[in-house]
Amino acid sequence: MNSLLTPAMAGLSAGGAYAILGVCAIFTYRLVAVVNFTGAAVGACGAFIMVALVEMGMPLFPAVVLGIAAGALAALFVGFITTIWFSGANGSVKAAVTAALLVGFIALGLRLTGGQHPKRFPDILQGAWLRLADVQITNASIAAIGLAIVLTIAAEQFLNRTRTGLELRALSERPMAAELLGIRVRLLALIVWAIAGAVTAFALMLIAPLRSPDFASLSLLIVPALAAALIGAFKSFRAALFGGLAIGIIEGLASGLVGLNQYRAAIPFIVILLVLLWSQREARWDESR
Amino acid sequence: MNALELNKVHIKRGDIPIVHGVDIVAKPGEISVLLGANGAGKTTILEGTSGVIPIASGDIVLEGAQMCKASAGHRARSGIAHVEQGRTIFAEMSTEDNLRVGLHPESGLEQAYDLFPELKTRANVKSAMLSGGEQQMLVIARALLGKPKVVLIDEMSAGLAPVVVARLMQAVRLLADQGLAVLLVEQFANLALDIGDRAYVLRRGEVVYDGSCEILRNDPAMLHHLYLGDMEKDSA
Repeated sequence: MNSLLTPAMAGLSAGGAYAILGVCAIFTYRLVAVVNFTGAAVGACGAFIMVALVEMGMPLFPAVVLGIAAGALAALFVGFITTIWFSGANGSVKAAVTAALLVGFIALGLRLTGGQHPKRFPDILQGAWLRLADVQITNASIAAIGLAIVLTIAAEQFLNRTRTGLELRALSERPMAAELLGIRVRLLALIVWAIAGAVTAFALMLIAPLRSPDFASLSLLIVPALAAALIGAFKSFRAALFGGLAIGIIEGLASGLVGLNQYRAAIPFIVILLVLLWSQREARWDESR
Repeated sequence: MNALELNKVHIKRGDIPIVHGVDIVAKPGEISVLLGANGAGKTTILEGTSGVIPIASGDIVLEGAQMCKASAGHRARSGIAHVEQGRTIFAEMSTEDNLRVGLHPESGLEQAYDLFPELKTRANVKSAMLSGGEQQMLVIARALLGKPKVVLIDEMSAGLAPVVVARLMQAVRLLADQGLAVLLVEQFANLALDIGDRAYVLRRGEVVYDGSCEILRNDPAMLHHLYLGDMEKDSA
């Protein structure tokens, strides 16, 4: 039993990070109507800047803060391009732009961070929160899950109960109609990008010590994040939260099973495929009738 | 003082000139009606005025302030409200949330409900579930709650039953009587002339009539001639 529980618990922290990234992906999609493929890459920028600052001798806390700010700035850069340069483009074009930017981020990130050699990341939250026999739940796992839950609740409350949330919902539905009501469309859109970038950067700082922390691997965490967002149909924060956690746990379980371990990285793709097939079930069933 | 002035305004769509040097004013307490056949440039003028599309040249002046370089959002915050054609509700939101989006700090939802009591009974209904007439009421009321100085209204009668259109016309007249300047684009000329004070008839992007609505109301032949212009001669 322990042989399965241990890797499942290990998958929790990854699941928490996937959930955070998935919630951020939905947040960006719902509010600025862009499927953002750079979601994890901008976070990786912030995380690696934090590492660089620590290596230069800066204490951990200010380095983390500056890393989060760097993540926000990197996301603002992406937001600026999609919001200002591609303001008239449709969602597909904007998504393609972020995919292209992802390639650029990875190329630049690998060059600046020493290629695919994993960096040594400082453990922001060292130690175990709970240890029971061989099973251990780390502080990082609890922090990632806690942040994912807080973020999910905060996103829901913010959108449903605040004036700014209301304006953002209007912006996402009809940008021009929102602007004609005097809503500061570009400013709000850029704030959404910055918040998503900051949160992502922090999430990656938590999870990086548990992964193979090179720039490309962290940037490609967007795949499980988008799988989690897809489980939430790019609409439900809660479903994305549970989806992200589930993917993390399944990945963890797979890593503990001989024979499945080597296919662990394919799990998010399988989830994406299954969700897409499930979403088309009614059309196929109607056809076959 | 005029609430809104358009001076020698030229507007293009892409490279195609649509509006050629029009002069239009909207005064507080008055309804200025923009009439003309399809393609005359009525909607283009409203879109250029609110900033949906840029103007090529000319001036847009709101209570003495130059607006032509301002963004659509800035123009809205300055007091130009634009009720676009096609009933641009936020379909995922309730009626009340739609109204709150446009709510100025000095306005209250009661203003909307006073104008259209129908909306109060439907306050918590998803706006996509409202009838076409209710949706049109909603977008007009929403524009009103932004505390505008000028309201631009584009084809509000499209696809609505005559009884609903009459109700909307009555409400627009009430807004003007309360001191608002209204610039109304309407396909049904007679309905617009009934509530309007000043009329502009556009033909191929140029103003061919600028005068009182009453004259046009009492002279249908003149209105007919202004609409068709050279086309009458061509067909003869």
